[in-house]
Amino acid sequence: MLDDLGGLFHLLEKILGIAGSVVYLIFALVIVKQVNTMSKNVKDKFNGILITVSYLHLLGAIMLVFLALTIL
Amino acid sequence: MTRSNDLDLVAPDDVIENKMEETRNEKLETPTDTVKTVNLKEKIYEIVGHTKHSLSSILVNPDVFSFEEKDDEEEILLVARPHWFTNLSWMLISILMLIAPALLKFIPIINDIPTKYTSLGNLVWYLLSFAIIFENFLSWYFDVFIITDKRVIDIDFNNLLDKKFSEAKLSMIQDVTSRVSGLGQTMFNYGTIHIQTAAEVSYITFEKVPHPEKIIKILQLLREDKEIDKGGNN
Repeated sequence: MLDDLGGLFHLLEKILGIAGSVVYLIFALVIVKQVNTMSKNVKDKFNGILITVSYLHLLGAIMLVFLALTIL
Repeated sequence: MTRSNDLDLVAPDDVIENKMEETRNEKLETPTDTVKTVNLKEKIYEIVGHTKHSLSSILVNPDVFSFEEKDDEEEILLVARPHWFTNLSWMLISILMLIAPALLKFIPIINDIPTKYTSLGNLVWYLLSFAIIFENFLSWYFDVFIITDKRVIDIDFNNLLDKKFSEAKLSMIQDVTSRVSGLGQTMFNYGTIHIQTAAEVSYITFEKVPHPEKIIKILQLLREDKEIDKGGNN
């Protein structure tokens, strides 16, 4: 009985962790889109750096999904 | 007074002599307009001074700055962002967020959690902290007030996907008022400028801009210039 509950809890934890990381990945994609839109509207010297940083953040979010899939 | 090329290497907003020459050649049909714009730029330099960095709150005659709705013949004279002091609150919160995981190590129960979970938790925490810092920086960086030789423009990005663009022609400006209130604004000399216009957008507000008195002076200068133009045409 307790083993079943433990297994269920672990499954729930895994589903929530993966779902959360996927939501964060979508958020990171929105940030990339946002920075690109802003950079098109207002062109300045640092736009290139900001776009690069947004892609690095996206990379971090992809890594989070990967870790959630492997660790949890 | 035009500055030398050496100084322009470190000043992104400076008038570059060669560029001015090119501009003069391109607009041969209207030499008086070009001379007038150069004079205006020099006067603005006298009022605000030279800015040395693209991340400054005020950029005078920026060479690299542009915006989507800009006309080809339009010249950007001044770009203002909110004063750096307005960023202080989120910067302090960000520093606390960044040092929080290190402080959590002193709580004994945290040490009992398996390493794989703590490393995942750390990654989530630092990504979230980074996202908060980045979003706040973007809100400041892309919140710009632009004064060109034709109009005043306010571009706001209120949240992730909301852009607001307001503009009014210089000739449509009716009244300009500024307000500096509170300890921070008084100490660091920044405030809000309200521009009342006869255009469809009745008010344009430049919020938390540095040196509001100087910006008002520039607007006054441009309005006088437009009035002289009108008088000359009549």
